[in-house]
Amino acid sequence: MNWTGAVRTILVCLILIVLHYTLRPLLAWRASVDFMIVALLIGSVRLRPGAAAVYGFILGLLADSLAVSGFGAAALAMAVVGFSASWLKAVFFADNLALNGFFLFLAKWVFDLIYLLVGHRAQGTELVMQIFVWSPLSAAVTAVAGVIALSLLKPLMEARTA
Amino acid sequence: MASAARLGNKVDAGLLIGCVVISLVLLVLRNEDKEPIASALRRTAVAPLVSLQRGAERWRTAWVSSEQRQLVADSVALRAVKAQALQVENDQLRKILGLGTRLESGFVPAEALHSTAQSEETVTTLTLTAGSTAGIQRYSPVVAPEGLVGTIQTADPTMSIAILYTHPDFRASAMAPDGTTFGIVYPHRARAGGADAYMLELQGVSNRSVLKPGTPIYTSGLGGTFPRGITIGTIVEEIKTSQVWTKTYLIRPAVSPSRVTTVLVLVPQRVTQGIGNVWGAAVNLDSAAKRIAVAGDSVAKQAAVLEARARQATLDSVKHYAIDSVKRALGVPLNAADSAAAAARGLLAGAGAATGAATGAATGAAPRPQASGGGAAPAQPTASQTAPVVRDTSRARRDSLRRDSLRRDSLRSDSTRPRRPPQ
Repeated sequence: MNWTGAVRTILVCLILIVLHYTLRPLLAWRASVDFMIVALLIGSVRLRPGAAAVYGFILGLLADSLAVSGFGAAALAMAVVGFSASWLKAVFFADNLALNGFFLFLAKWVFDLIYLLVGHRAQGTELVMQIFVWSPLSAAVTAVAGVIALSLLKPLMEARTA
Repeated sequence: MASAARLGNKVDAGLLIGCVVISLVLLVLRNEDKEPIASALRRTAVAPLVSLQRGAERWRTAWVSSEQRQLVADSVALRAVKAQALQVENDQLRKILGLGTRLESGFVPAEALHSTAQSEETVTTLTLTAGSTAGIQRYSPVVAPEGLVGTIQTADPTMSIAILYTHPDFRASAMAPDGTTFGIVYPHRARAGGADAYMLELQGVSNRSVLKPGTPIYTSGLGGTFPRGITIGTIVEEIKTSQVWTKTYLIRPAVSPSRVTTVLVLVPQRVTQGIGNVWGAAVNLDSAAKRIAVAGDSVAKQAAVLEARARQATLDSVKHYAIDSVKRALGVPLNAADSAAAAARGLLAGAGAATGAATGAATGAAPRPQASGGGAAPAQPTASQTAPVVRDTSRARRDSLRRDSLRRDSLRSDSTRPRRPPQ
C-alpha cells in the first residue's frame, strides 16, 4: 500500500469514525450500526495482522473511553477482530460486496461476543438474547451499512487499485 | 525471505499478544485506576468525537421533542375537531329535544345512518335505528327540528329505511302559510349533483297565485301521508316550464340531509291527530317578540315626548316668572306687559337656564349650571347674572329714592340756613 492509498484509507476510516459518533446517536436504533467495525475492517485488510491488532486496540480504547464500564473490553475485542480480519484477508477476501457484507457481519458478531463476555455487560437470559438476537441484528445492520458505505466511498478506495 | 516472513509473523503475534495483555490488564484494573486513563483519552484524542456525539444527541433530542410537540399539537387539533363535532351534535340533539317537547307525544326518535357515503353528491336514503316494533310503519313522516326530512320506505322490526325529499319517488302535498295556495312538492332534479341538487320544486300551483321569494312552504295535510304544518322550505324563485295553466316554484329545503343525524318519526296516530302549530310556533314567537320590541319602542317614544313637554312647561313657567319679576321691577302692571315682556325676552334670551335656578329655589338648593341641554344652556350664565342685576337695580332705585328724599330733607334743612353772601 503506497502513501496515497494509505492517506485515502485513513480518510475513509476517519469518515466512518465520525459517522459512528454522529449518525449512530442520531438514529438511536436498538440494533445500531457499528461504523467502528467497518472502519476497523477497511483498515485491517490493508495492514499486517500485528498492525491491524494495534489499530483495533487503539479504536477499542477510543470506544472504551466513552463507555461507562468494561474499560478494555472493546480494545481486546477489536484487537482480536482486527488481527483476525487481517489474517483472514490472506485466506479469502475479494472485492465482492456480498463477501464483504458477510465479513462485516461476522466481524461485528464476534466483536459483540467478545465484548459482552469479557466486559460482563450482560448476564443470563439477557446475555443470550443479546448474543443471539440483538447482536446478529446489529451485525446485519452493520453489514448493510458497511456495504453501502463501501459503495459510496468506492471512488476514494479505487485509487488504491489504479 | 522465509525467515523474514517468520519474523513478521512473530512480530504480528507479539503485537496481538501485547494488545490482548494490555486489554486484560485494563479490564482487571480498579475503577480508580481506569478512570484517569479514560479521562485523559476523553480530554485529548476523543474530545472531538465527544463533541460530535454531544451535538448528534442534541439533534436527536430536538428531533424527538419536536415530534412530541407535533404529536401534542395533533392531539389538540384532533380534540378541537372532536369538540366542534360534539358541539354540532349537541346542538342537533337540543333541537330534537325541543321538537320532541313541542310534539309531546306520537313520535319515535331515531338515529339516522347515512346509507350512502356523505362524500357522494346526493343523499337519497337514510337508515334509521328504529323500526316497526317502536311503532314505525311505511310512509311514516320523518322530521327534523328544521322541518320535513322524508318518509319511511321500509320498516323492519328494529330498523327502517327512509327516503329523503331528494329521492325521485318523494312527493308531498304543500301549501303556503295563508292556506290558499297549494301544490305538490317534487325533488328538483334539473342538475343532479350540482349546487341545486338538494332543491325542491313546488309544482301545480295555480296561475292566480303568486308566491314571493322567501315564502315558507308547509305540508298541507292532504293525502294523509304528512300532517298539516310541517315546514318544507322557502320559495326561491319561479321556474319557467312548459306548463301553461300552472306555475312551478323552486324551493330551498329547510333541512340539509347530509347533516341529519337524529330524526323523529311520526307514528300514524299522530299523523291522524295532526301536529298543531309545532313548526309555526316559532314564527308566532318571533312575531310576539317583534311586537314586544315595537311596544317597547313606542313606550320609549312616549316617554321622550312627555319629557320634552315637561321641559317646555318648565321653561314657560320660568319665563313667566322672569317676566313678572321684570315687570315688578319696572313697575309695569302685570296685565299690560307687552313692552316689558319684550324687554324681558331680550334679557332672558336663555330663560331655559333659569330652570335650574327655579328648581333650586323650589327645592332649597343652589342653582347648578348645566353642562349641556340644548339651546337654553349657553344662555344660563347670562340669565343667572341678569336676574340679580334686575333685583339690584330695583333695590338701587329704591335706595336712590330714599337718598333723594334725604337729600331733599337736607336741602330743606340747608334752606333754613342763611346763605353766605358772595364775596
